[in-house]
Amino acid sequence: MSRVNTVLGPVPAEELGIVAVHEHIGYGMPGSELDATWWKTPEERYAETVPKLRRFHERGGGTFVDVTGICNGRDVDYYRSLSAKTGVHIVACTGFVGGDTALPFFERAGVDYLARQFVHEITVGIGGTGARAGVIKVGVSRGGRMTELDKRIYRAAARAAVTTGVPILTHLAIDPEPAVAIFAEEGLPLHRVLFGHADDGVNAPNTPDVWIAEQGGRIGFDTFGYETELEDPPFWARPRKERLDHFLGFVGKGFLDQALVSADANCSPLGWPGVKGHTVNYIFDDLIPDLRAAGLDEATLTRLLHDNPAGFLTIQD
Amino acid sequence: MTDAPAAGGGVVNTVLGPVAADDLGVVAVHEALLSVLPGAEHGHDVTLDRAEIFATLAGKLAAFRDQGGKTIVDSTGMFHGRDLRLYEALSRSTGVHIVASTGMGPEELLGGYFLTPQTNPPTPWPADKFAALFTKEITEGMVIPRLERRAPAGLVATAAATGGMTATEESLFRGAARTALATGVPVSIRYGADAAHDLDVVLDEGLAADRVVVGGLDRKDAVAAGAPAEVARRGAYVALDHVGLNDDGAHITDRERAALVLDLVRAGHGDRVLLSGNAIGVAKGHPAYDLPFGHVLTAFVPLLESLGLAGRDVRRILADNPRDLLTLR
Repeated sequence: MSRVNTVLGPVPAEELGIVAVHEHIGYGMPGSELDATWWKTPEERYAETVPKLRRFHERGGGTFVDVTGICNGRDVDYYRSLSAKTGVHIVACTGFVGGDTALPFFERAGVDYLARQFVHEITVGIGGTGARAGVIKVGVSRGGRMTELDKRIYRAAARAAVTTGVPILTHLAIDPEPAVAIFAEEGLPLHRVLFGHADDGVNAPNTPDVWIAEQGGRIGFDTFGYETELEDPPFWARPRKERLDHFLGFVGKGFLDQALVSADANCSPLGWPGVKGHTVNYIFDDLIPDLRAAGLDEATLTRLLHDNPAGFLTIQD
Repeated sequence: MTDAPAAGGGVVNTVLGPVAADDLGVVAVHEALLSVLPGAEHGHDVTLDRAEIFATLAGKLAAFRDQGGKTIVDSTGMFHGRDLRLYEALSRSTGVHIVASTGMGPEELLGGYFLTPQTNPPTPWPADKFAALFTKEITEGMVIPRLERRAPAGLVATAAATGGMTATEESLFRGAARTALATGVPVSIRYGADAAHDLDVVLDEGLAADRVVVGGLDRKDAVAAGAPAEVARRGAYVALDHVGLNDDGAHITDRERAALVLDLVRAGHGDRVLLSGNAIGVAKGHPAYDLPFGHVLTAFVPLLESLGLAGRDVRRILADNPRDLLTLR
């Protein structure tokens, strides 16, 4: 049976539609909730978020994967209401964006506890919401190398992925050798791992995307739209054509089935100003036209936006 | 509110608003009501039953009140389980004044927002940003995260790592001192490796020493170094704040604590001594420390008196000193 966990319950993978595989309803670093600079009323939050999701739905978007980690403002009850009112499937994650976003309670926890936390959120539910996580988030802390805590989280995630069949999605794919080794040691096939942010302006030069793909991993070109051409680009922005060429080159090497795309946008950022003019709908407004203009046919687009993420998200028996 | 501040008299910020300083009575200055290790609220096996937490804390505060206590200071800062609506309800129902704190520390207990912000490079927060964050908790009110502000904080609390103050902790200490200068609340510091050094960091900001309480001065290493008397000589308050802790390798025992209190009083530092227990009313995500808030009153004061401490000194240490510290300047 093909099954994917969404915040409103399991759905068949056949129902996912076009998937935005690496997105955020709203992201904030742990502690940002203390700084009233960023506070918004619920009215403002819904006003900023609902039109983006509705438009995503109207353009043919089926599923929005929210990869906001456990301590980063993940708010599953809110996601449930958004999903119910807009018709967009929302997949929530368990796990952490990186060791440096895991608060002391989790920083002090061992692999076994972290794995139990992830398995609980995948099989029982997140907090008291009853919603089950559909993907496990892990990542590399700021600094460019995997920290001891990052590795502990990767190992716990691998065990939870093996136990539950839910896939892993990474923040950053730099320094991937320790990650690949951990997944091998834990018996997790690399096609169950999406190595993300292979395309961002800071990390792309240091990300051995082809090597990871040759090991069997999936590669996320998932910061599409963070462009230097924007009015006020973030530090991880990259020239539009450079990213597109990078992506087309990767696909041209025969890795289409391992490629996934997304925009990593915030509908309504929680602890930072966000990036003006960048939304999940970049996928429809810019990316798909660019890919068509580059000669990709409809069957290829379907594989990229539908088949690949559906295969990735489907819970393995 | 039962205790409106007297016109022209000093006031203290409590969770129910300002009260007359003279109404504080016996104060426990370094305690924790609800103490949640950051992140524990997300633990799949951690339950936070507010009704149950309230019942536990109300029982402990009522016992403290019945033993002669009138004011309790939750010195855990803004990011360790502080629950303002719970504390307001507890204060109303038990009649115990509750002073809540702003501030954070040590560095290992901070969120990534302050340590690895979304900038390139991810430079940790400087003192001025901490000062602005903490100051608003007094000028605009303490936060319920992403929701609203409540009453102003009564003090700003921070701490350094026992291995020695980190660069970010120096920013926290300086930010706390600037907050005190800007608002008139006192500063509580839990020193790291060197009490005198860490006190100097806040004094270097131009803060008067009598606006500072140094916690943890009943640690063995501090006592061996003569830190309690040295801190008092500099004019800051000396918190012997592990009263009741007798089986911990890092701290002196109550008998030794009592001797230290008498030494400090004999040396003329009776106006600088504070006593507290660092008890934890309800602990989540870390070990409980289920010492009654009234332990100083029920067990330690009789010990002090048996050793000859005069009643006026007891009163000074339990009531007058904390009142002077907590009164807004």
